[in-house]
Amino acid sequence: MPRSYAHLWFIAPALFLMFVILLLPIILAGTLSFTNYSLGNTGADWVGFDNYERIFTRSTYEKMFGATFRYVFVVVPMTVALGLGAALLIHSLTRFGDLYKTIYFLPVMAALIAMAIVWEFALHPTVGIVNATLERGCGTFLERWHWYAQGCDRTFPLWLTDRDYAIWTVAFIGVWQGFGFNMVLYLAGLTSIPRELYHAAEMDGAKSGWDRFRLVTWPMLGPTTVFVVTISFIRSFQVFDTVEAFYPQGGGPSKSVYVMMFAIYEKAIQQNLMGIGAAITIVFLGFVMFLTIIQRWLVERRTHYV
Amino acid sequence: MSDAALQSTDTNSATVFRFPTSEAIKHAVLILGAIVVLLPFYVMLSYSFKAPHEIMQNTGGFFGTQELFRDDFCIKLGNAVEDCMVRPVIYNYTTAFEKAPLLRYLMNGLIVTVSIFLIQIIVALPCAYALAKLRFWGREAVFGLVLFCLLIPVHAIALPLYIMLAKVGLTNTYAALIIPWTISVFGIFLMRQFFMTVPDDLIDAARMDGMSEYSIVWNVMLPTAIPALMAFGIFSVVAHWNDYFWPRIVITGNRDLFTPPLGLREFKGDADGDNFGPMMATACIIVIPLIAAFLLAQRRFIEGITLSGMK
Repeated sequence: MPRSYAHLWFIAPALFLMFVILLLPIILAGTLSFTNYSLGNTGADWVGFDNYERIFTRSTYEKMFGATFRYVFVVVPMTVALGLGAALLIHSLTRFGDLYKTIYFLPVMAALIAMAIVWEFALHPTVGIVNATLERGCGTFLERWHWYAQGCDRTFPLWLTDRDYAIWTVAFIGVWQGFGFNMVLYLAGLTSIPRELYHAAEMDGAKSGWDRFRLVTWPMLGPTTVFVVTISFIRSFQVFDTVEAFYPQGGGPSKSVYVMMFAIYEKAIQQNLMGIGAAITIVFLGFVMFLTIIQRWLVERRTHYV
Repeated sequence: MSDAALQSTDTNSATVFRFPTSEAIKHAVLILGAIVVLLPFYVMLSYSFKAPHEIMQNTGGFFGTQELFRDDFCIKLGNAVEDCMVRPVIYNYTTAFEKAPLLRYLMNGLIVTVSIFLIQIIVALPCAYALAKLRFWGREAVFGLVLFCLLIPVHAIALPLYIMLAKVGLTNTYAALIIPWTISVFGIFLMRQFFMTVPDDLIDAARMDGMSEYSIVWNVMLPTAIPALMAFGIFSVVAHWNDYFWPRIVITGNRDLFTPPLGLREFKGDADGDNFGPMMATACIIVIPLIAAFLLAQRRFIEGITLSGMK
């Protein structure tokens, strides 16, 4: 094979950009996280682990982790479960399956910031369609439900501005937006399961639908599930659009929706506290990389059980 | 598989006599889900048609009554009342374009997404080809680096990137919107996997014909990769058209550089209570191009968006 240096020209731009855009920032964030740097200042003081100490002791950051983990641990299981449920239902239909698939995928395509603004209207306490619809249910059998009767007596929740509801409402919108994506991944997984396996399972005595799911479908979907769970984690950790749209200042009622990406934005961009922002960035990257490495490890073990 | 074939397998199984009820229950559940999924889209479209008072009182059904109403802003400008009667749907959509330079925002969105995609291809394609088909010292190391970089979400390192761009004075430029996305390690990985399946004979034949490595990339490999590139393009364009976080950070105040999501956000920021209609019209204008494209080419879109699931 003739020696040529073509490969150098081919990989040099990509290598250069990988270093400058992906690796250098991590090194920079790592370094800045030990300083009290602000943009516009000439220098910065070395503050050691002060920023990290703050993140793990101050109550603001306790709220940040609380909000982030509440969001993530609602959105991930819900989007995975609903994605799988919708995929199973649609896959078992004889007709109209594609129609549901299209509808459920719409939120994935739509700009989240636009849909967040629409949701804010829909959830508006007085003119919003959600509470208006709920009020129509007053006086019917629904009032037997204690929560509903309370809503009819006084008012239905202020969803986005009530401290007890805010994070769950934002999480609901996260689920609304994300489960169609998982559904499509699961549908792809389902179509790749060979039909013979079901026949074989039936011959071995797997009579009920649940048996078929437990013995064939679920194990065969193992690799899909590993991927779906990881990508759901990474996507939901990065939630920002909805939070910023609803609460441009301060991260919601009593900071109950103060998620990590918003914290980075507020501390570093709005308040110019680069050191603390960099420290949150590093912690954030730690989470995301840890999750992805677990995923790769699971995939490489070629396990079918999660 | 066709409907008939599916149905026949069902008839053969033991579930035949309860088939209709179970099917009906499934449809009921899925329709309920569809209502919740479609609710905000319904609200968005409906409000973009209606007059302010209809929105506030929740009347007028989906399209509103489309009765003429008085545009107070027009009267404030000193026009006669008769000249200021407007039809809601027309008022909403014209206000969307007049109140903010929406066309400019859409143009910016187009410039940014298309530039990002083209640069991603120009950088990723030769690199993917070298990793898949050329032998050179350090190839495994480079590929290892690509695999490592796949772990890094660009949004997560937005802060140090912002500091770097600010240091070289590039914030509030198109460059700031584009630069962080010029390298797509995912694109490199994807193309490399695709090129691995291209037979070596094809490349050897091209070399025999005296083609340079450079023209092999663009004249031989590129055409074979069109389907994969289409999927990747959809993935890239959807992600960056809808992206709000990064533009929000690097574009501070210069409205000429606003992308559609930023424009909409600003609209919301100074909405004065009764401007819901035009705002929803803006939201529609931003969301509908992608939705329409998706409805026209569903299969390709789903392929593209879920591309990351196929590693």
